[in-house]
Amino acid sequence: MKIGFPLCILAAAGIFGSAALGQASDPHADWAGYYAMARGKDIEGLKPLVNLDQLITAHLQPWALAKMQATDGMADDTGQVCQPNGPFRFPVNAGRFWWLPGRDKVIIAYWELNTAGVRRVYLNRKHPRNLLPTWNGDSVGHWEGDTLVVDTIGLNDKSWLFLGMEPHSEEVHMVERIRRIKDGSMIEVDITIDDRIALTSAYNFTRYYKRSDYHTSPSGEPINICNEDAKTWHDYREKYLKAVRERALIVE
Amino acid sequence: MHPRFSSRGFAASVAATAAFVFAIAAPAAPAAAQTSQPNLDGVYRVIPSNAVAAGRKNSGSPSEIKLLPEAAARAKSADLKEDPARMCQPVGPFRMMARENNKIEIATTSASVFILFEDVARGLLQKVDFNRDHIQSDNPDEAYTWMGDGIARWDRGTLVVETTGFNDSTWLNELGAPHSEALKVIERFRPLADGRFLEVTVTAEDPKTLAKPYTYTRYFEKTDSEIAEDICEYQE
Repeated sequence: MKIGFPLCILAAAGIFGSAALGQASDPHADWAGYYAMARGKDIEGLKPLVNLDQLITAHLQPWALAKMQATDGMADDTGQVCQPNGPFRFPVNAGRFWWLPGRDKVIIAYWELNTAGVRRVYLNRKHPRNLLPTWNGDSVGHWEGDTLVVDTIGLNDKSWLFLGMEPHSEEVHMVERIRRIKDGSMIEVDITIDDRIALTSAYNFTRYYKRSDYHTSPSGEPINICNEDAKTWHDYREKYLKAVRERALIVE
Repeated sequence: MHPRFSSRGFAASVAATAAFVFAIAAPAAPAAAQTSQPNLDGVYRVIPSNAVAAGRKNSGSPSEIKLLPEAAARAKSADLKEDPARMCQPVGPFRMMARENNKIEIATTSASVFILFEDVARGLLQKVDFNRDHIQSDNPDEAYTWMGDGIARWDRGTLVVETTGFNDSTWLNELGAPHSEALKVIERFRPLADGRFLEVTVTAEDPKTLAKPYTYTRYFEKTDSEIAEDICEYQE
C-alpha cells in the first residue's frame, strides 16, 4: 500500500527555531489530506447529488443550449484528448484531490493532474485587474468562521460546465462555500455558478468529499498520467481536434 | 479499440471512480509536529546558469552524464523527436530539476512533501512521504512508474528525497540517455541565507546504464510571484 503513516515528531525548536512548517500557524492546517468525492451511504442524510446536466441545461440561454446541442462529443471534449477540463467538470463529478492548506493560499492538486490541474486559492489578495482568461481562472478566498469562501473568475470559455458539454462564457463566476462536516471526516462544498452571458440565472448545488486514503492510478502512479502513450495520444488528439480546428477556420 | 490513454480520459474516469474503494486514513497529524525542521514551503525560481546565489553557482547538467557503452549506443540511436519532453510527457525528477526557467512550489504536510512544477505536464508533482519505506510490489505496474516512489527524511536541516521504482520510459537528458528500472534519484534540498535560496543537488545512480553516479546542483531563489497556468503544447 502506498501509505505513509503520520508520525508525530515532537521536538523543540532547534537551530531553525522560528522556521516552523508553513502550515504550522495556520489554524486550518488539519484540513490537509487526500479527499475523494463521497457518494452512497457516505452522504445519507445530506443533500442528494442532483443531476447536474439537467440542472444546468434548465439555466442555459438559448444560444448556449444550441451550442451544447451542436457540440461534437469527442472532438470538443477537451479532457478526453488530454487537454485541461477547467474546474467545473472533474472536481464535481469524480473529484479526487490533495488539499494542502497554507497561511496565504490553499493548494488543491487534483489526481487528474493533466486535465484538472492544480488550483491555488489565494487568501491574501483580491483578483488582479485585467485578468487574462485561463483554464482554471483566478481563485481568491477568505474565511467566514470555519467556512472558506472561494471566489473564482477569469476563466477562458474553452471548458464546459459539465458532462453534457454545457458552454459558459468568460464572464462565468463561481463561488464555493467550503466547510468541514462530520467531525472533519468530510468536506462540504456548496457551489454557485453564474454567467450573465450563458445562463438565465445562477444555479447552485452541493458536493461532498471524504477524507480518504490516497490511491494510485491503474498504472501505480500517485496521479493520473493522461498521455502515457504519447504517439497514440497525439494521433488520437489530432484526429478529433481536426474538426474543431476546421470549425474555427470557418468562423474566422 | 480505444487507445490506451482514452481509458484515462474524462468520461472513463467517471466510470472508474465508482469502482474505487477508498479506505479511511487517520487524519494527518498537525503540521506543527515537525517544527524543528526548516520551512521549505513556498515558490522558487531557478537562477540562471551565469548568476550567483548565496555565493554559489549552478553546476553540472544531465547532459554531462557518462553512460555505459550499451546505454551510450542506445542513446546514439534514439530518435530525439521521441523525447518525452517534446510530447508533454513526464520527464522524471532527475531531468526536471535542471530545466531552464524552472519554477517549483513546495508544500509540506506532516506526512508528505509535495513538489509542484509550473510545467505541470512534464514535471507533474512529486509526492514524497516521511516515515515509510519504499513500496514493495510484485505488480510491475505498481512497482515501476513514471515518477517512481519517493520517500523523504531530514538530514541536519536538509530535506533528502530518495526515489526509486521508475519505469524506463523517461530519459536522463535531452540526448536520449536511457536508464533502467534500477535508477535511483537522490535530491537534497538545503535552504540558504535564511531560506531566501534553496540549493538542490540531484544525483542519479543506475548501475545498468551509468558508468558512475552523477550529481548536478541548481540554486533556486524564493519568489513572491505566483505559479502560472502552463499548458504543454506537443512539439512536432
